[in-house]
Amino acid sequence: MLLKNVKSRYKSLLFAVVAVAAFGAGLWFNGSRQTTTPEASAAAALLALTLPDLQNKPQALSQWRGKVLVVNFWATWCEPCRKEIPVFVKMQEELAAKGLQFVGISIDNVEKTAEFARNFSINYPNLIGSFDTVEISRLAGNHRRVLPYTIILDRSGNIVATEQGGVTRDKLLNLVKPLL
Amino acid sequence: MRRIVNYLFLWSFLCASAIAANGAWATTKDLLDPEKAFRFSARVLDAANIEVQYQIADGYYMYRERFAFAAAPDSVKLGTPQIPEGKKKIDEFFGEVQTHRGTLKIVVPVQTAADGKVDLTVTSQGCADVGVCYVPQESRVQLAMLQGTAAAGGFSTSGGADPLSRLLSQAEPKPASAARGDLAEDTRIAALFTGSLIWLLLTFFGFGLLLSFTPCVLPMLPILSGMIVGRGKISRAHAFALSVAYVLGMAITYALAGVAAGLSGAMLSAALQTPWVLGSLAAVFVVLALAMFGVYELQLPAALQTRLAQTANRLPGGQYAGVFAMGVLSALIVGPCVAAPLAGALLYISQSRDAMLGGAALFAMALGMGIPLLVMGASAGTLLPKTGPWMEAVKRFFGVMLLGVAIYIVSPVVPLPAQMLAWAVLLIMSAVFLRVIDPLPLHASGVQRMAKGVGVIALLTGAAYLAGALSGARDILRPLSGLSVSSELVPAPASAAQPLFTRIATGAELDAAIKAAEGKPVLLDFYADWCISCKEMERFTFSDAQVRQRLSRMVKIQADVTANNAEHQALLKRFRLFGPPGIIFFDKKGNEINGLRVIGFQNAEKFSGVLDEVLKF
Repeated sequence: MLLKNVKSRYKSLLFAVVAVAAFGAGLWFNGSRQTTTPEASAAAALLALTLPDLQNKPQALSQWRGKVLVVNFWATWCEPCRKEIPVFVKMQEELAAKGLQFVGISIDNVEKTAEFARNFSINYPNLIGSFDTVEISRLAGNHRRVLPYTIILDRSGNIVATEQGGVTRDKLLNLVKPLL
Repeated sequence: MRRIVNYLFLWSFLCASAIAANGAWATTKDLLDPEKAFRFSARVLDAANIEVQYQIADGYYMYRERFAFAAAPDSVKLGTPQIPEGKKKIDEFFGEVQTHRGTLKIVVPVQTAADGKVDLTVTSQGCADVGVCYVPQESRVQLAMLQGTAAAGGFSTSGGADPLSRLLSQAEPKPASAARGDLAEDTRIAALFTGSLIWLLLTFFGFGLLLSFTPCVLPMLPILSGMIVGRGKISRAHAFALSVAYVLGMAITYALAGVAAGLSGAMLSAALQTPWVLGSLAAVFVVLALAMFGVYELQLPAALQTRLAQTANRLPGGQYAGVFAMGVLSALIVGPCVAAPLAGALLYISQSRDAMLGGAALFAMALGMGIPLLVMGASAGTLLPKTGPWMEAVKRFFGVMLLGVAIYIVSPVVPLPAQMLAWAVLLIMSAVFLRVIDPLPLHASGVQRMAKGVGVIALLTGAAYLAGALSGARDILRPLSGLSVSSELVPAPASAAQPLFTRIATGAELDAAIKAAEGKPVLLDFYADWCISCKEMERFTFSDAQVRQRLSRMVKIQADVTANNAEHQALLKRFRLFGPPGIIFFDKKGNEINGLRVIGFQNAEKFSGVLDEVLKF
């Protein structure tokens, strides 16, 4: 009697374990399928963008294809965004010759952005983005639509890494160096 | 010892399901959605003031200087909002800035027109301490101001608002563009759910409770209860605790099904929107409804069912782990019996594309289903309603609901008269089954009279739809409009009579059309027969006189992508759209205007605003 009891217990346990495993497998499968495609389309959409610069001239992002591209979504009112800009300015100065290119996309108005760019002597192009532009970063993984958000593309235009929130010089160097 | 093992088993099961569910959000780190980080609500304070409240989550803050308020219609005037002082901080770029944490209440003075209706839009900006900021958020609320009480301009905080106006207010948080205010609508549906999560859960809970009174669940209860408690004599508290374990097992199984539905919806919803899929979905609903009317019995294959039942029977009663496992199994056994409404619920969830919502909703439903069992466990079987013909009524009610859903699903691909006819048939038939035609017995009970009342309403509505179908009404919400000769009748929506749009099918045709439009802005509308928002735009927005007047100054092009061939896909891809609805604008030189896209339905007023922006280019 006792033996039978134990046996049936195992059977029910097996049932439950199999059910959970099946759900887990399904979720994992879904997850892996969802993450692969949007990344590629985000890269394509990003490089297909044309946005006005601080002089209101349209600039195509595709002009920097072939360089290691660091695209930084930011805004002047966003404090964490401003903290990392001096890091970018320094790195742009040091590594431009090796093919590194920063591009800022400011989700802000032109005047404020231009004033800030002057004050902080930003030495790389800044473009004015809109809601649609933020949508592209969302494809790349920025699900909560936050700033700063940084996307790093290699020389062939593939997204190599994305960073939500501020990034340190060391971290960025580690990400960018192998690509140069 | 054995106890402990049982507990461990229960906990590991709980953890496993939690981890599985968690996988779905692993990519978004631990950041809250902006709507949850900054919970928006608003209420009418008195005749002249609205109180806007943000409940700011721990570790998040908002900028005092960056709030913006706007109101519609134009007749509404806003005073200077009273934003309390925040925490001061010197910013190297902006000078002094103030930030808010915790609960922030802002009083906005309002002057309204006669009807007292206000459409308030609040734009806000906030950040998280972890070092990120959110794109500006737009939150919208519709309120009805109180009439003629306090004098205008008074800031008296005279206690609670009128409950009616509180009911009328529905927060609808939305992300916005920094440059031009929010014009994208893709989050509209998701927002609809976030605003009324509690209601949704309560609804599902109520459905669960109803489901437990269907004929195949209720008679099972005494047996189930016996199985749960086992043979031995135990205390009421113990019996209750065991019932809780059983219900939890059942609820978690359903919750997992809900999560799966939410996730599959995320992938399937795009594929779902074709006439064939919509048609077969509706057919499934009709088949399920027939089961509810007792045309046939919906069951798992008999062999499998006995197998499951045997396993469940062999499980030892009286122990938590065993009872919990029984709950899991019973969800699988009883499942098919309530499958029809359950499938309906799952489909509804998969449309919402939200795994968490799906899990929560079905969990609530299963808890509802478990309530009678808990009552029984606690009362040792003395407190249970008797089975009877009323359970058949519950079943039929579900059948009618399922048929209604079927009609709703196919509505985008079926001509309007056919839709109305379908509603008419459903309503009139239901009314007849509610015995509207039969006279009430002399000493009819209250319930019988109620049923008759409901039936009469259904009959009249059905008759109205029948009349609408036969008289050629053009609006599903106004079935009798075909009969009236009133002058306010707007010109027929753009259809066969006088097409509003030039149709294009390829990229080359589009380029040619844009070129030909030289000097005029261009509107490009992506349309498909199955696209519900497209139809709504046609019916409610494009037909509006204000919109028409603005559209007359533009070149209007429409790409009908119903067939979804390679050319159509190329067109969608060119504009980075996943599918209709989508309206894209080009300036006078033929360049796309960034940031002004309209995705999803917009009402005439809002859409006119967008058109005004376009005409400025």
